[in-house]
Amino acid sequence: MISKDPNCYIKGVLDRSRRILAKTITLIESSLPAHQELARGIINQLLPHTGKAVRLGITGVPGAGKSTFIESFGMFLIEKGHSVAVLAVDPSSTRGGGSILADKTRMEKLSVTPNAFIRPSPSEGTLGGVTRKTRETMLVCEAAGFDVIIVETVGVGQSETTVASMVDFFLVLMIAGAGDELQGIKKGVLEIADALAINKTDGDNIQKARMARKEYETAFHFLRPASLTWSPPVLNCSALKMTGIDEIWETVLEHRKKFFATGEFNTKRKKQSVDWMWSLIKEGLKEKFYKNPEVKKELPAIMEDVRNGSLAPTAAAGRLLSFVN
Amino acid sequence: MSEHKNKQKWAEIATKELRGKPLESLDWDTPEGIKIKPLYTAEDIEGFECVNTLPGIPPYVRGPKATMYTGRPWTIRQYAGFSTAKESNAFYRKNLAAGQKGLSIAFDLATHRGYDSDHPRVVGDIGKAGVAVDSVEDMKILFDQIPLDKMSVSMTMNGAVLPILAGYIVAAEEQGVSQDKLAGTIQNDILKEYLTRNTYIYPPTPSMRIVSDIIEYCSKNMPKYNTVSISGYHMMEAGANSVLQTAFTLADGLEYANAAIKAGLDIDTFAPRLSFFFGIGMNFFMDIAMLRAARFLWHEIISKFNPKNAKSAMLRTHCQTSGWSLTEQDPYNNIIRTTLECMSATLGGTQSLHTNSFDEAVGLPTEFSARIARNTQIVVQEESQICHVVDPMGGSYYVEALTNGIIEEARKIMDEIEKLGGMAKAIESGMPKMRIEESAARKQARIDMGKDVIVGVNKYKLKKEAALDVLEISNTVREEQIAMLEKIKAKRNSKDVEKLLKEITNCAESDGNLLEACVNASRARATVGEISDAMEKVFGRYVATTQCITGAYASEYGDDETIASIQKRTKEFMEKEGRRPRILVTKMGQDGHDRGIKVIATAYADLGFDVDISPMFQTPEEAAKMAVENDVHVVGSSSLAAGHKTLIPQLIEALKNKNAENIKVVVGGVIPPADYEFLYNAGAVGIFGPGTAITESINHVLNAIENVK
Repeated sequence: MISKDPNCYIKGVLDRSRRILAKTITLIESSLPAHQELARGIINQLLPHTGKAVRLGITGVPGAGKSTFIESFGMFLIEKGHSVAVLAVDPSSTRGGGSILADKTRMEKLSVTPNAFIRPSPSEGTLGGVTRKTRETMLVCEAAGFDVIIVETVGVGQSETTVASMVDFFLVLMIAGAGDELQGIKKGVLEIADALAINKTDGDNIQKARMARKEYETAFHFLRPASLTWSPPVLNCSALKMTGIDEIWETVLEHRKKFFATGEFNTKRKKQSVDWMWSLIKEGLKEKFYKNPEVKKELPAIMEDVRNGSLAPTAAAGRLLSFVN
Repeated sequence: MSEHKNKQKWAEIATKELRGKPLESLDWDTPEGIKIKPLYTAEDIEGFECVNTLPGIPPYVRGPKATMYTGRPWTIRQYAGFSTAKESNAFYRKNLAAGQKGLSIAFDLATHRGYDSDHPRVVGDIGKAGVAVDSVEDMKILFDQIPLDKMSVSMTMNGAVLPILAGYIVAAEEQGVSQDKLAGTIQNDILKEYLTRNTYIYPPTPSMRIVSDIIEYCSKNMPKYNTVSISGYHMMEAGANSVLQTAFTLADGLEYANAAIKAGLDIDTFAPRLSFFFGIGMNFFMDIAMLRAARFLWHEIISKFNPKNAKSAMLRTHCQTSGWSLTEQDPYNNIIRTTLECMSATLGGTQSLHTNSFDEAVGLPTEFSARIARNTQIVVQEESQICHVVDPMGGSYYVEALTNGIIEEARKIMDEIEKLGGMAKAIESGMPKMRIEESAARKQARIDMGKDVIVGVNKYKLKKEAALDVLEISNTVREEQIAMLEKIKAKRNSKDVEKLLKEITNCAESDGNLLEACVNASRARATVGEISDAMEKVFGRYVATTQCITGAYASEYGDDETIASIQKRTKEFMEKEGRRPRILVTKMGQDGHDRGIKVIATAYADLGFDVDISPMFQTPEEAAKMAVENDVHVVGSSSLAAGHKTLIPQLIEALKNKNAENIKVVVGGVIPPADYEFLYNAGAVGIFGPGTAITESINHVLNAIENVK
């Protein structure tokens, strides 16, 4: 059902048809140039209908309970009358194989709620792809009327920075007792966090979780906040027991209010647009390079020459780049 | 003992017989990780603790009773239940008249999960995979004219264990039978539900409390009643090999013992009432050895608690032949498989046994197939003369060595579990489930490539399969149950019921004994669903976290043309469509058997699909929503509990209503061939019965989704 008419998608998304929304995302995610071209046209038309949603990024170390948190947090928002879209990037590609996308098994209630839309996406191992695809998907969901967009990312690799560069608020989930508290998480992740929540603050774990909160608060003191308006708070919550969830949402709203007041909100979004453009340019150049027939032909031999020392890396790079000119 | 004086000579002759192949080529590495040699001699069993013991005396390797079958043979106990209580009751009475000795009740999935028959989530499940029981009134009909003081009744119930056990107690009471006379078994083994069968209701912690409340209540009031039947059967059916089955089952048992002791009970008040339930598969000698090893290990485990009563450390078990080993293809072969498994269970020394009907890979058993299944045991027991000697395999070099091998391998796994903090913690970590699923995926790969032979499936296939009769449960069962519920609700004192349900909720919040509270409510005609809800208010309903392994299927398969050709096809698909083929695998209704979808998920991902897995227990509407949002090419729905005729058409309809009629639907599991046409007419594009090679199903699915516009 891949129609070639962009208007069919534009109308469908604006009419909030789930089927069309999902199909549009498929176009965005497609590796075929024709699909991407079509998607670009659609997004361009939908752009005026975007921008109003709260854009939230959520990450966490493996085992922090991200999916369970999103289930509880999402249901909390739904009960408050919001409509929620969750975009989850799954890294579980097997060697040579596809992905197993099991996120929704942990979002049992949210996944069946009419006002929620969850789309797990296989990552196919291309980080640049995540940027483009997730951004565009986020915009399409906004155009389809969702007023809270949650982008879930895995707690490893560079995808956090990528996601942080496209959302208004970036939440990092932690748990107490996950080994050496600060070793387990990169300093870089704390630098882009707008708040940190210690999940699983329940049962036998409460004391440990409160201690962990103190430790992270100390850690934040040593970091220079990105904005003078906002020092990232550390919170306790339990997705399982539904405690502390409301506090996190209030934190998001407060951040929003303050950033609106100072004008930082607009500055940030504008900067994100420019960043987006640059990341598209970089990705486009890279793609152009790899798709160049001469590059394709010569690359293996040149790489081998560099490997065995018969060609200098500088000369090799110069030669390969000359093909694209 | 040194090496047999002729061992060298034997090796020479054997090598000659092999015509150039080395002697080691006869070694066999079992999936259990035990190496099997072509010949065992006395030196192979030297020094083993399990060798040369006596039955009825610790460590009970040779049997819990001194006389075993020479005194009294095993109990023929066939597991059955379907439709309404009235129909099941008639079936039981007929079977008892035909030589069956004990009853074993199968409940439908709605009952297992604590839903009354009028609940909207269970429309496709009522009376299908067992009998529908909504209240004590159904329970009374179920046991009509069956004297509960004389008949030992086994009930497979784990999730809704409290309302069902309470209903049984009250039904007996109204027959005039007091609690102390009740003999039988309640499965009440919740831990394995989180591992394999998924018929739980509440999260693990409150569920464990329910288990210990039942143990406490019964050890006080029902001294002849087995309070937990610690079950490995479902693990085997989910894919566990014999070592995994032994280790995980005994580790579950240890966890229950620890829970009861933590609740303040003395080991000797409850341990003699713990019984076991093992599954017996097609590795004939391995499973004989498994039962012997399990008895040895259980004695070792319980001895650490210093019991005074010898019975505390004595493992008594029920066994069932493997349902998974049955094939849809050439199904009469299943009678032979079941006979072998029956022999294995009895040579291993089981206390009671269920033998499967040959048609269970196709549908629900008929009266005819049930009779053959029962007679399989009767023939072995009464015609084959095997009952004259205790543990006839004792002293066999091979079986003794296998017994020791299982003991050693299982100990390693149990140590691992101990390090994780016991079985409940291990289950939380996901370790046992992943091991079982890995074992299942590897098994599937061995079958699909023909390494493990299954006659009629991957060797000696029939050109044309004959049609087989199966039992069909009419959808009117649901209406009958609903009418009954309405009648009960109109007649009872609703104020009383409300008060007693409130008491259950209070009890759940505090300390009291939940079974006691449930007996009172059941007496006042509170329903299974109401009693379950009263506790759910406090405990919540458990949601499983699904983890899935990857890589096991492809790695067991290794380099192979079939695999390579499929990977090439999925790659071509991707180049043409701009993404990988994407499938949603889902289980609809209350059927929790997830071996099928897990193996499918792993194998499909290994071969190049993106695989979405839905939460368990979906309604067709929910599955359709997920299929649309994830924009999959195809939905694969697995059904093992006879709900397919209701659920599949509803799924296809729901997809249509969402403008997604081009998302294809395929069905897997136990589907009677007579229903194929019905499902194809409803719009399914593929039906894959048991024994379908995954590689074959993938090619079929790719054919269906290629070139869809």
